Amino acid sequence: MNDVLVGRALAKRFGQTVALGGVDIAVRAGEAVAIMGPSGSGKSTLLHCLAGIMKPDGGEVHLLGQRIDALGERRRSALRRTRFGFVFQFGQLLPELPAEENVALPLMLGGVPRAQAVRQAREWFGPLGLQSMESRRPGELSGGQAQRVAIARALVSKPAVVFADEPTGALDQQTGQETMRLLVEATKHNGACLIVVTHDPNVAAWCDRTVEVRDGRLLTSGALA
Amino acid sequence: MNLDLTWRLLKGGGRRGLLGAWLTLGAVAVATALLLFAVAANSAFQARAERGAWRNPVPATSGAVAIEASRFDFVRDRAITVVDLAALDGRTPEPPPGLPRFPAPGEVWLSPALAELARELPADQLAERYPAPKGVLGDEALIHPDELVAVVGRQADAPEMTAARSDDWLLGKPPVKVASLAGTPSEDAQAYRMLSLVASVLMAVPLLVFGGAAARLTVARRDQRLAALRLVGATPGQVVGMTVTEAVIVALAGALAGAAAFALAVPLLAGIEMQGGRWFAADLFPGPLVLAGVLVAVPLLVGLSAVAGLRRVVVSPLGVAKRETPPAMRFVRVLALLAVLAVFPMLTRGTSVSIIAAALALAFLCVNLAGPWVVGLIGRITAGTARSPARLLAGRRLVDDPRSAWRTVSGVALTGFVAGFLGLLSPATFDQDAGGPPQLRITAPAGQADQVVRQARERLREAGVTAEVKPVKDVVVAALGSSAGEAEVDRARTALTGLVPGRTPTTKADDGRFGVEILADVRVGTIVVLSVSFLVAIASSGITAMSSVLDRRQTYGLLRLAGTPLSVLDRARRSETLIPLAVMGGGAILVGAFCAMPFMIGGVNATGAITLGACVVAGFAGVIGAGALSRPLLRSVTADPAPRPD
Repeated sequence: MNDVLVGRALAKRFGQTVALGGVDIAVRAGEAVAIMGPSGSGKSTLLHCLAGIMKPDGGEVHLLGQRIDALGERRRSALRRTRFGFVFQFGQLLPELPAEENVALPLMLGGVPRAQAVRQAREWFGPLGLQSMESRRPGELSGGQAQRVAIARALVSKPAVVFADEPTGALDQQTGQETMRLLVEATKHNGACLIVVTHDPNVAAWCDRTVEVRDGRLLTSGALA
Repeated sequence: MNLDLTWRLLKGGGRRGLLGAWLTLGAVAVATALLLFAVAANSAFQARAERGAWRNPVPATSGAVAIEASRFDFVRDRAITVVDLAALDGRTPEPPPGLPRFPAPGEVWLSPALAELARELPADQLAERYPAPKGVLGDEALIHPDELVAVVGRQADAPEMTAARSDDWLLGKPPVKVASLAGTPSEDAQAYRMLSLVASVLMAVPLLVFGGAAARLTVARRDQRLAALRLVGATPGQVVGMTVTEAVIVALAGALAGAAAFALAVPLLAGIEMQGGRWFAADLFPGPLVLAGVLVAVPLLVGLSAVAGLRRVVVSPLGVAKRETPPAMRFVRVLALLAVLAVFPMLTRGTSVSIIAAALALAFLCVNLAGPWVVGLIGRITAGTARSPARLLAGRRLVDDPRSAWRTVSGVALTGFVAGFLGLLSPATFDQDAGGPPQLRITAPAGQADQVVRQARERLREAGVTAEVKPVKDVVVAALGSSAGEAEVDRARTALTGLVPGRTPTTKADDGRFGVEILADVRVGTIVVLSVSFLVAIASSGITAMSSVLDRRQTYGLLRLAGTPLSVLDRARRSETLIPLAVMGGGAILVGAFCAMPFMIGGVNATGAITLGACVVAGFAGVIGAGALSRPLLRSVTADPAPRPD
């Protein structure tokens, strides 16, 4: 009964293509769930529906018992900013901002004064192995370092859920493993749950359980706990 | 192979790629059309000067064949140029332009506009001054189609060709023996040509900047793709070749579209009144060589600008792919501007107009050179003091790419330079007629004032015009009744025609008419230059704002996806433009005003200050409006739920 995020009978079509054909999924507090599937299976669409980025055509999404799929774009946008964190394959960092300001940005958007936001942002650099990287710009960071900055940014506003879409897709095997370790550890340490979309079993292995999507439906039985 | 691949890249660019190509094409079309206008304005004034040259006689040193004299007559509030021509005994001069033969004594030829006016007005107000016209002057004899000109044939020994006249060029030309009627462009025609040259420079520089911005737009869309090509082994030559080819293909299409748009706009442009009338449409069409030159130069400029924009990709394929920090601007850019400003007063003192135009162009280019450095500085200050995310984003963006931010505001900033320059340059308003009943004045030959007064009284009485005529020294003054309107004045003028050979009765308003006309022309010129600059500035900022959205669509998309409100992104974009605009626009106005100081005759006048204020308001409003046009594009590109790199 301690489900944080629940999706029920989620359906989504793009023209004639069925992206989601009635998916049920629930994620418990502190849990890390991997969503796997081949290209075009509907796994990214599932993540977008759960994160309030996209409205499903059918079904419901609940966050901590509150229905969120029926909210207007403005409230869903505010929800994404305050209750969710995001890590993407690449490109989510603003190239002109130094790393610490990239991390501080969600706090500033939430109304935290700049100096305090930057101070809070800096606290994440040590635990994530980014000492002395605070003032570097994304172009001056390695791929792994940039993903760790993105993890810090996803977690800095203490979200309930972190969504990661192919977070290691642009990294080599070793860096990818290290990034996943940090992502899972930091998320759990923060008390958030994690939903990772990936096609890589090595990435999925870091999560508590894996659900597999094929042609818009869940194949595995782990959909609802 | 390059051409084939380039064409496939251009065609296969997808909806957004094609949108970018259309934006470039549109930008180049606008730039070409306005550049053609700037060039055509020059050749149009040249054509006017050449057609009017026959009325500005060159005294014959030998072989004189005719005598030529001219004066100004007036009807309503318009001037009539009256040219008196007489063949010397036994000579058969070539006819002047626009006439089938040299006018015989007593013959009158009128310009079409004057002939029409003579038909429209009662005969005793105009037609009786030029009785029984033999024919109509051809266009070759006229400066503009609305010009009022009368050519009158005389005997070589007629009083009009022998009596002394004023040598004030404003009142006409005294009789001169000439070997031909070729003449030479008059002083005022030369002055107009010089002013039009300065106006062309003022209009052309922002256009060149705009053309460059359009080219960068192509590169901005392509840099990731071209960097990828470099990464897979394309040689720098191949990358440059492909980019230049693509930019030139789009620019050539844009240039042709711009030329077509200009041709369609000519009838409209021909309606702009200068020197008292509209334009012959043919004057506004640049010659085939000039047209070909513009059609070659614009795509070439766009290609060169594209190469400059690609430098980083070619030097380092990772440069664009990794978005490294661009090297900081050098302070030498500002030093160049300061150096030019320091020597500007010396460059413009007592030197030729071409040097002044060159100095102005140099100052203009230096403002453009210093612009990005100042924008970078503004960015650092904005980022350093920012409290809100929008200002922080705006400040960091300015530091990251000051050239791009400068491109957005450069148009208005350079327009500010034009406004600052012209705003203070406007001459003070001429004194109009002091009011009261109209008076006609005519200078009598020495010692004949009383006789002329008697004749004037007689003529006015016969014409039924009530007037009190009296001499004031050598000037005969006919004071009309206080109820006399313009028709009564013209009746009096007609009655007094030929009273003193070679002289015309004029009112005080007539005497000030040329000053008023020059003032009106300077104002029209200022408005035209400012309008062109504004069109460039607004189009430039609109297109740059759109290309900026397209360039950064992935980042904007991901930010919005992570919950950043669209309003924050919009505020950041607005601040990105408005902060440098406020500083640079103001700075450019001051630099423009500084450059105008050596040319100022009187103090700052109200009209100039109002023009300047209107310029600033219109510039800001235009840029904000043009930026707002890209908001739907921002909404559309960030609505994509799964933004992916190209």
